[in-house]
Amino acid sequence: MNDKYLWDRSGEPDPEIQQLEELLGTLRYEPQPLEIPAHFQITRRRSFYPPLAIAASLLFFAVAIGLWINFSRRPTAVASNPPGTQQPAIAVPTATQTSTPSQRRPENAANAPATPKPFTPRPRLVLASYKQPKLSARPPKLTPEELALKEQVLLALRLTSTKLNVAQRSVQGAPVSNTIRNQHKIG
Amino acid sequence: MIEAQATADMMLMTEGFSPAQSSDEPIEVGLVRDVLAGEHDRFARLYEMYAPMVHGVLLARVPRDEVGDLVQDVFLHALRKLHTLRNATAFGPWIAMIARNRAMDFYRGSRETVELTEQVAVQKPPSRTASEVLGMIRELPEAYRETLVLRFVEQMTGPEIAARTGLTPASVRVNLHRGVKLLRQRMGVLEAQP
Repeated sequence: MNDKYLWDRSGEPDPEIQQLEELLGTLRYEPQPLEIPAHFQITRRRSFYPPLAIAASLLFFAVAIGLWINFSRRPTAVASNPPGTQQPAIAVPTATQTSTPSQRRPENAANAPATPKPFTPRPRLVLASYKQPKLSARPPKLTPEELALKEQVLLALRLTSTKLNVAQRSVQGAPVSNTIRNQHKIG
Repeated sequence: MIEAQATADMMLMTEGFSPAQSSDEPIEVGLVRDVLAGEHDRFARLYEMYAPMVHGVLLARVPRDEVGDLVQDVFLHALRKLHTLRNATAFGPWIAMIARNRAMDFYRGSRETVELTEQVAVQKPPSRTASEVLGMIRELPEAYRETLVLRFVEQMTGPEIAARTGLTPASVRVNLHRGVKLLRQRMGVLEAQP
C-alpha cells in the first residue's frame, strides 16, 4: 500500500486506493444551495455592556458634578471666615450693603481694595451634600460650688454602693473580694 | 464536466489554505465575523467550504438518503447558534461536532429501521457497490469511519481532513492507515494478496 498516495495523493498511485476512490466517489457530496426558511431567525448575541456602560457613565458624571459643586463652594466659605473671627458664615445685608454690587464697587476700590469680599451665599445647586447630624445638647456649665456638691454626691453614692456590695456578699457567704484586685504585683 | 466540477470543488476546499488568503487569519474568521455583523449572505461561503466535510461526517453515520436534509439542518443550526462560537478559527471542528450530535439525535428519534432479511440479502448483486463498501466502512470503529469517508467519498486529502475536522495530521494519518487495513480485511483483499 502506498501510504503517500493515501495521505495526500502524491507519489505513485495505488490501484486499490484509486478503485476505492472511484467506487465511493459516486456518493460524493453534490453541491446544493442552502435553503434558509423565510421565518428563520438568527439569535443575536445579547450584549449587556453598552447599557451598563451608559448607566455607569451617567452615574459617574452625576456624582462628579455634585462633588465638584459641593467642594467648589466650601473653600470660599472657609476663606471668608478665618479662625478667630466671629463673623457669621452667612452675612446679613445691612442698610449700607443694600446697594447693588455695581454701585458698591467704586467705594470698595477707593477705601480698601485688598480687603476680602464678604461671603454672600449664592443659590445652591447641590446634587449631593453632606449634613452633619445634630449633636445632643450639652449640659450647662456648673459653678465651682455646684461642682463640689456634685463630687460629694458621687462620693456618697460610691460609698453606699460599696457597703451594699459587702453586705450582699456577707449574706451570700462569699468571701469579701479583694478591693485592690486587678493591680500589678510589685517586685 | 464532472472533472471540472471536481476540480472546482477541490479548489474550493483548498482555497482557505492558499498562501494568498492565509496571510494573517484564516478565511473562516473573517466570514464568521461578517455573518455576526449582519451579513448573512456570507454564510453561504462557509456553507460551500464546509458542506462536503459535514456531508462526509453524516454519511459515516446515517443512511444516505437522509444525509442531504441533515446537512441543511446542521448548517441552519450553526447559523442560529453562530454567536456561541467563541473562537472563529475553530469553525470546522465546531460544525463537525454539530454534525456528529445531529447524527446521534437522528438515531434517538423514533424512526423505523428495516432489518436486512435473508431474502433481501440474496437479491443483492454479486459485485460490490458503493453502498455496500460504505456499509463496510460504517461497521469499522468510529475513529476510522469518518476519516475514510472523507478520504474516499469526499476525495479530501489527509491535510485537508486534519484542517477541516480539527484533528491532528498524525491522528488522521494513523486513522487512514489502520482504517484502510481493516477495510481490506473486511473486503477480503488481504487474503487475495500474496
